[in-house]
Amino acid sequence: MQRENSAKIRILIVDDHPVVRTGLTSMLGTQAGFEVVGAASNGEEALALITRTTPDVLLMDLRMPGMNGIDLLRALHSYSKPPRVIVLTSFETDEDIYRAVQAGAHGYLLKSTMQQEMVAAIRAVHQGKRQIPPRIAARLAQRMSRPELTARELEILEMLAKGLTNKQIGAVFQISGNTARNHVNSILEKLEAADRTEAVSVAVQQGIIDLTN
Amino acid sequence: MRAPRWLRGRLGAGILIAVAISAIGAGLFYVRNSHSWKLPYRDSFATGQADEWTAFGGTWQIADGAMRNDSDERGAKLMTGSPDWKDYSFSADVQLLGSPGDAGLILRSSDEEQGVDSYHGYYVGLRNNDGNLIIGFADHGWIELAATPMPGGVHALRWYHLTGAVHDCQITAYANEIPNGSLQVVSYTDKNCLTRGRIGLRSHSSGGAWKNLAVLPLTGAATALVQAGSYHAPRDLPYAVDEPVFQRRARTERQSAAGAGEQTADRAADKSTEPAADVGSIGSLRMIRTMGRHATVRGTVILTRPQLYVEDATGGVAVLSSSEPSLKVGDEVEVSGEVEVHDFSCVLRDATIRLLWAHAPAPPIAVTANQAATGAFDARFIEVDGILSNKDKGPANTLLLAMKANGQSFRAIVNPSRGDAILRHLNTQSVLRLRGVCVVDPQFTHNLTPFVLLIASSDDVEELAGPPWWSGRNLVIIGLVTMTLALLAYMLYLHARHLRLQAIVEERERIAHDMHDTLAQSFVGIGFQLQAISNSIPEDLPGINQQLDLACDLVRHSHEEARRSLLTLRREFLESETLHSALNAFACRMVEHGSVSVRLTISGEDTSTPYAVKDALFRIGQEAIANAIRHGKPSVLHIHVRYTNDSVNMLIDDNGVGFNQGDDLRGFGLTGMRKRADGISGVLRISSNLGRGTQISVVAPLPSRLGWLKPDYYLWQFAKEATTDAKRKLRKDPYSYRR
Repeated sequence: MQRENSAKIRILIVDDHPVVRTGLTSMLGTQAGFEVVGAASNGEEALALITRTTPDVLLMDLRMPGMNGIDLLRALHSYSKPPRVIVLTSFETDEDIYRAVQAGAHGYLLKSTMQQEMVAAIRAVHQGKRQIPPRIAARLAQRMSRPELTARELEILEMLAKGLTNKQIGAVFQISGNTARNHVNSILEKLEAADRTEAVSVAVQQGIIDLTN
Repeated sequence: MRAPRWLRGRLGAGILIAVAISAIGAGLFYVRNSHSWKLPYRDSFATGQADEWTAFGGTWQIADGAMRNDSDERGAKLMTGSPDWKDYSFSADVQLLGSPGDAGLILRSSDEEQGVDSYHGYYVGLRNNDGNLIIGFADHGWIELAATPMPGGVHALRWYHLTGAVHDCQITAYANEIPNGSLQVVSYTDKNCLTRGRIGLRSHSSGGAWKNLAVLPLTGAATALVQAGSYHAPRDLPYAVDEPVFQRRARTERQSAAGAGEQTADRAADKSTEPAADVGSIGSLRMIRTMGRHATVRGTVILTRPQLYVEDATGGVAVLSSSEPSLKVGDEVEVSGEVEVHDFSCVLRDATIRLLWAHAPAPPIAVTANQAATGAFDARFIEVDGILSNKDKGPANTLLLAMKANGQSFRAIVNPSRGDAILRHLNTQSVLRLRGVCVVDPQFTHNLTPFVLLIASSDDVEELAGPPWWSGRNLVIIGLVTMTLALLAYMLYLHARHLRLQAIVEERERIAHDMHDTLAQSFVGIGFQLQAISNSIPEDLPGINQQLDLACDLVRHSHEEARRSLLTLRREFLESETLHSALNAFACRMVEHGSVSVRLTISGEDTSTPYAVKDALFRIGQEAIANAIRHGKPSVLHIHVRYTNDSVNMLIDDNGVGFNQGDDLRGFGLTGMRKRADGISGVLRISSNLGRGTQISVVAPLPSRLGWLKPDYYLWQFAKEATTDAKRKLRKDPYSYRR
């Protein structure tokens, strides 16, 4: 109550990149009504700082060494009064957005977002709203309309991306080739793909799987 | 670094298979070559095949179930068995064909050569000039170790049973005349004895015949008997009935009565009993022009089958006789008959033949095929070298060799003798030395070749050199091996190229991540920092605020540029997409927020564009699209991709401002585009006019297909599969931090 009276939104910045942390701290520090209470370089540090500084809003990157953004979001579920979270990232694949929102993010901003937009978003989220820019919302809607892949199907999709046959997939997961084929068919249906190649293509485009590793 | 598991597995399996194949090969080779090398060994000489025997001199052939050497050569040998045979008992039936001389068995022998006593081993035999059973030792010289007179002596043309054993250093031999002669034994213990060696048949100064040869391992009982000196040969062997007594027996007996070796006297006696009128030289027969004239000549027998040939120093002649005595090569004879002269040859018909005395066969005259073809050597015993061009079976189990030498072709007819293994193993195109009787008679030549060589036995066929290595079969094998190696090298090359490409892609990826982690993030941070400064500066300093806003814009612009560059470095576009969809996706991302509309036209189907081509075209396309959007300010961007069987055509066409051909275009990445196009042998065309937009096209030829054989494709799949395991292990949550 006391904090609301002071009318300052307490912000915790979580980003692994020091230049970004410093820049954000400086920029948000100059904004009236904002107070940057700390900056963490990963999820673990952030959790420690949250208990110490009780921020209102978390500005958080997704990919970080150690505990990443999604994990941090999930960890916050156990808090009785968790801070509200805005994802601030340079990634905008469907799956990134989807996962973040599913894990409980209240806002999703790209790092290239203009200052005014960012400030407005922080205020809106602090007031209890969700703040997702229209373009990202559109991608999210597209992703939401697709039935969820099961964990097993995700694993199999990764194998598909490596060019494995049903038989080889069966060998990897110790299931029969027919079972693997059923899973693959289910994947094709869910991704609305005509064949395996297209399925992998869709999966990569939407960020369900990541070929870069 | 350890080889990947699949490689180790396959390498191991390959080595195992190779070892197994060589083991099987060696085993087969051993089995094929070892049939005569194990005791017990028996040869009844009934089959007519004696491939495992090797002759050193003599005229060995199988007749009437016995191995015969008809020559009086001193020390003719026929060897068989293993150099490792040690202790054994032996038995054989032996007959001398003349006198004086001896015949018997060679034991524990090695280093055999042609010539008298030219071996290193023991000899057990029967000698008819002194009637002894003997044991001797030969080491290219003769040492007689023991001799015992046979009861009743030793006589030519009678069969004797010779048996015994060699055990450690003791040699024991028993002999008796078949069927009921009394047994004689001779034994010798050699202190520094030869312990092992082959066995053989040997005759000396006389022909010989052998049958029912058996070499048996020594059993314990037999050994004891040998040591006790009371070993007896089994007497119940089914002995062959004695051969018919030959006409020459009388001569042999007369000779032994007159005294051994007195040939001059013998000759004189022959002459005195039946003086031959008008004895001429064989060469002079050809001068005779009247048909049916009678003539008498003397000469040496050079061939008995299929026809009798006699030669002297002046020439040779074929002899046709209704009753010819049992003659052997080397016999000195007197022949009288009716002379029949042909163009190059002559024949003595209705001849009567008188045996004068025996000799060892005379050496052949060495001639060339061209000399032989003149006919001057008709009915002479000659030696000719030539190249075997063909071999075939002839009538009556003979073997026909078609030969070539110096452009001359001739044939050789080889009598069946001790089996035809040697001849079977002759390869065409090998160089052979043949010894035989040169015949120009059309009866044998059929007018197909200038002459024919009649060869008494396969011992007179000598292989001088095998076929040249460039035979058709070898060339095919070499060709196949070369092709396989070339294919292998090509596959390795492709594999290496793929690995290199893979490395490039990975490096690009790494740079993209590095740039994202440092450069792009720094831009973001600096941007925020500038915003912070801008926020803190009072509103009444318009100059500075303006500059700060500009700085912010510049940083944001740079960030955008960096983001785009990173985009081009990302691989996922190409990994799973076709070229056109990757280009389209890239263009769409580039024009995001903008008003440019992207249109995609495709014709044909992207079936199997190689990754290298796809990558190069995509990079060129990216550059072209980026240039168009950054500099051309178009409203429409067209991407055309056309796939054909042998090329991929790409055209990026915009309706932007364009440029003049003469403009300075540095910094537009045109050099890079050209380089990439050159790298895939593509043709890059850029056309533009001010206000008319820019067209950039690339035609990239596709490598010709190898059909089902796409080694690079399979190798690639193979490598991918092989690394899948490792990759999965390395793989973590996609959201984890990447270095």
